[in-house]
Amino acid sequence: MSSTDLGAAAKPAVPSAAGGRGGAAGIPFTTIIVWALLLSAPIWLPLIGGYTALASRVVVMGLVAMALNFLLGFTGQMSFGHAAYFGLGAYGAGLTLRYVANSTGLAMIDGILLGGVLGTILGALICKRRGVYFAMITIAFGQIFYYIAYSWDGLTGGFDGLRGFTRQPIGIGPLVIDIQNNGTLFYYFVLAVFALATGIMALLLRSPFGRTLLAIRENERRARFLGIAVDRHIWLSFSIACFFASTAGALFALLNNFADPTSMHYTLSGIIVIMVVMGGMRTFWGPLIGAAIYVVLQDYISSITVNWMSFIGLLFVLVVMFFPRGLLGMIKARSAQ
Amino acid sequence: MVAQFTAGVGRRRLIKGGAALAALQLGAPGIIKARGETPIKLGFIDPITGSLSALAVSEVEGAKYAVAQINKSGGVLGRQLDLLVEDSANDTGTGVQKAHKLIERDQVDAIYGDVNSGIAYAIMGVTAEKKIFHIVPGGHTDPITGKDCKWNTFRICNTTAMDAAAITKTLVQKFGKRFFFITPDYAYGHTLQENFVKNLKALGGEYQGDMLPIAASDFSATLIKAKAYKPNVLLNNMGGLAQINCMKQFTQFGMQKEMALGGALFEIESVLAVPPEAQAGWWDMEWWWDQPGVPHVAEFVKDIKAATGKNYCSARHWFGFVGIHSFKIAAEKAKSLEAIKLVKALENEPLPPEIALQKEKVFYRAGDHQLMAGIFTGEVHPPKGDPANVFSVEQIVQGEEAAGSVASTGCQMAYPS
Repeated sequence: MSSTDLGAAAKPAVPSAAGGRGGAAGIPFTTIIVWALLLSAPIWLPLIGGYTALASRVVVMGLVAMALNFLLGFTGQMSFGHAAYFGLGAYGAGLTLRYVANSTGLAMIDGILLGGVLGTILGALICKRRGVYFAMITIAFGQIFYYIAYSWDGLTGGFDGLRGFTRQPIGIGPLVIDIQNNGTLFYYFVLAVFALATGIMALLLRSPFGRTLLAIRENERRARFLGIAVDRHIWLSFSIACFFASTAGALFALLNNFADPTSMHYTLSGIIVIMVVMGGMRTFWGPLIGAAIYVVLQDYISSITVNWMSFIGLLFVLVVMFFPRGLLGMIKARSAQ
Repeated sequence: MVAQFTAGVGRRRLIKGGAALAALQLGAPGIIKARGETPIKLGFIDPITGSLSALAVSEVEGAKYAVAQINKSGGVLGRQLDLLVEDSANDTGTGVQKAHKLIERDQVDAIYGDVNSGIAYAIMGVTAEKKIFHIVPGGHTDPITGKDCKWNTFRICNTTAMDAAAITKTLVQKFGKRFFFITPDYAYGHTLQENFVKNLKALGGEYQGDMLPIAASDFSATLIKAKAYKPNVLLNNMGGLAQINCMKQFTQFGMQKEMALGGALFEIESVLAVPPEAQAGWWDMEWWWDQPGVPHVAEFVKDIKAATGKNYCSARHWFGFVGIHSFKIAAEKAKSLEAIKLVKALENEPLPPEIALQKEKVFYRAGDHQLMAGIFTGEVHPPKGDPANVFSVEQIVQGEEAAGSVASTGCQMAYPS
């Protein structure tokens, strides 16, 4: 089994790949650094020319990249249609706020359920395929949802997207958290959801179920000989990845106060794959780092030149050629040496 | 490390450093005084990459020209203008992200954009939430100044209702009542076709049509359908690169011999990009560069050509130019950069001749914040003499006449309390 920091986020006193050093409470340094940076982002980001909405976007895209990594990095199955479940989460949240109730909590739940449940249903069909067929069928299902959102103008707003909804303040008893007008509070709301999602993800990966996924990734035939229900595990992995992706999608709708079909398109699925590969697809936090690099580069370089996609493409080529394990994977490998 | 530092930075040096820091503090009031003269930041979001890029680039060029012109003559309220241009990449999510960036990070006083109606619509949500003065230079879909109008948003280009109203009668009178539409499947296309159909039906006409993706590149199936329908006129409502590709395929199929061409907009950027056989049909121009006898127009055209190195000056250049000057007019009248004061100052304020650049009275109607300007209708043809002379104006329709009443737009303007 190849080295991985599987469950690094919630694996106390286990030497991490970052030099095998643990923090004060036995938490790996990578996790400590990631959380220190995320929690303090509203303080340091403006000092280097950033803004809070950018930090929220990094966290949201990081979550969807980590969701894909659950399937790709830890189960070994490539999905090129993961944006569909991200987009379904966005539409679920948006439609709830627009037509059902002015409740951010309900919007989140509906978004997560819409993408997660549809992903689970389709996963039952997808999980029997492997390799290029698995990838192709994920694209096909993804494009079906894209065209439904594109064509169902009356409900989804068609190509222009779904508008006319706004995220609502959250009330906890007498306490009202105004995530509607306060960008920093909204960032911490996004971060809280992200913490919950990544915590669950880490726990799953540390469990026997997570170990089984790794076994399937490393040698599917051997896992099958051992009596593991491989298809069912891949189905579950796909379903879980869809739930996490739709969580990110619901947050994306709240971030932008709109949802549009491009958030379901296969080009976004490709971008999510790029984020995962750039960051390091067999590491827990790698996809978050890949998402941060992609989103920040896009934001900065596109202000300087119209050829910003060329720079991102060049960076991707360089990472694939020289750091095939991704940036975090490369750092961890060097530290391990 | 600490020992080295202590050895390198002695007591005397520390005292000197402290004194220098103290001296800097004494100089601070000068810096504070200078803050009042920091530039006014204007954010411009347009699809500089993607299928609408040619149109977007012209708008940005017009805006840059206006900024240079204003800065040369002393700026706005004694401050220079700083134009920050962001690429929306023809993607709504990116456009919204850039709006947040310009407002939250760069603290702009006004936002401009987008050519893509859908993105303009989405950016309106951000600017309304943040209470930022917003001008849509070139997004045509009607609800922007119609049922979804916002107190902080003005629009320069026409509504689709205005463009359709200006040309439908001409097309029917010249060619007949049987139309075939090729329309982009998004906000702009939907409202444009609806308005054409409304006007056509009022004249007793009939139609068929196809809605295609905004960045469609293959029109063969739709053109075959159009050929079978045998319309009097084919209305190509696509925009930018998609319209150019559609025109090229239309001529490759030899269809120009079977039906007339026409529609709302065939902008000069697109006309110059198609082969001469496709430079045809009856269209609207939302501003036209060749207006003999109208003051300031020739000078503007000459300056734009010199500034851009291009051999034409388009309506999109004028949109960008008018947008920046509208901000100046509003700020100097209001003597403030506060959004609500800018808005009130601009409502019904006529643009001076050197900005209007036409004979007609040009102003933003208070009821819906739509710019009322002349609509130039006429025939597109291959260049005659000047390479940009590809359009002959037949008539100029008054903006208010084409727009109808404020009540008919559905706009109910609500101002913040």
